[in-house]
Amino acid sequence: MAGFADLNLPQGPDKKSLQSLLEAAAHLGYSAVALNHVIDFKEKKQEIIKPVSPSELFPSLPIVQGTSKRIKVLTRLTLVVSDPSHCNLLRSTSANIRLYDIIAVFPKTEKLFHIACTTLDVDLVCINVTEKLPFYFRRPPVNMAIDRGIYFELLYTPAIKDSTMRRYTISNAISLMQICKGKNIVISSAAERPLELRGPYDVANLGLLFGLSESEAKAAVSTNCRATMLHGETRKTACGVVYTVKKPRKVEEEETTVPACKKAKTQA
Amino acid sequence: MVRFKNRYVLCEVLSDDPRCRQCIEDRAVGLAVRDAIGRVHGDYGLACCSISFTVKYLNAYTGTVLLRCRKDSYRLLCSALPFVRYLESRAQRYPCALNTLHVGGTIRTCQKFLIQYNRRQLLMLLQNCTNEEERQCIRKSLLSCSLTEEQSQSGDEEDDDGTETD
Repeated sequence: MAGFADLNLPQGPDKKSLQSLLEAAAHLGYSAVALNHVIDFKEKKQEIIKPVSPSELFPSLPIVQGTSKRIKVLTRLTLVVSDPSHCNLLRSTSANIRLYDIIAVFPKTEKLFHIACTTLDVDLVCINVTEKLPFYFRRPPVNMAIDRGIYFELLYTPAIKDSTMRRYTISNAISLMQICKGKNIVISSAAERPLELRGPYDVANLGLLFGLSESEAKAAVSTNCRATMLHGETRKTACGVVYTVKKPRKVEEEETTVPACKKAKTQA
Repeated sequence: MVRFKNRYVLCEVLSDDPRCRQCIEDRAVGLAVRDAIGRVHGDYGLACCSISFTVKYLNAYTGTVLLRCRKDSYRLLCSALPFVRYLESRAQRYPCALNTLHVGGTIRTCQKFLIQYNRRQLLMLLQNCTNEEERQCIRKSLLSCSLTEEQSQSGDEEDDDGTETD
């Protein structure tokens, strides 16, 4: 079975708090986490910086509880878009975006949701859980996103913290479920402190609250996360010329390989 | 024969504060869980889950808690456990989190799981040991797990193929 993954750990400036978050995640049983860097275009123009490689940040990664492997840390970028012109950043050939493992987009309007599901080159579409959705989901863009292999992400930490957020989370999640029938859902935390993280079994139970069936809820924490990570990797191979493969023993070696074993998904 | 079927939920209490260990008591944990169920599932959920709800076993040193509820309402209980945010006892409130380890139909299955889990924890502690004396202590406790019928903490000497029951 695929290991559990938590694809959204906000990356703060404090290294020690990140280390404690990683240790808590490893203790709870997550095999992979993604450090999230959020870019919000409403504020002044921000540059997309190169992602900090996890091996520099953390000299020693903790071992996952229940296995003997170390936890895998990926980098992720989230773009909060409220205007169609912000999407141009994704189409540009800026080299820094390519270096992130997973790219997510957080659309704020219906038109942007449609664009994100149909044409944008992303792995995850974030669903707002902190306020009432300004638009309703429609079936065509959601079905197109499912065909393209894009997953919808729900956060659960706001639900734990506050009661009104809990209501919005559940209502938004259930309305999404009714359209997509429970497929292509990823549940992740946005935990800033280690106490806000919950174990994968508990997160799967939260999925039951959101209207998923038991197998879909378990898949939301494990199989779908693994599929998202693979989707991010195929994006790297299809668009880049050099495909770097980190072998477990020789870390600094780079080689160009033809990605015969990975099927590149058709890009829009 | 019609028998009441229960589900036993094994959880672990995680917290930052070392003082939180002192206030892990069965009443405090029971109240916190009931409060969380009431907040999430309302009066109906609280009433359903408290039919046969008790804290069966508690270990303050490791933070292990064993809860019991009816089989019909264990889903309500399990889905409300992530919402427990703090334990309160003697007018002290400590932030904490509950991590579900195992759900079983009998206390015996939960006990078997707990033994394997503790054995794995001991092995991990062994890796991080700094002192030779500590190493000897941990090795001794790993090897000297003796099977006694009445105790609930000791392990038994079967071979070590721990199957994942999660």
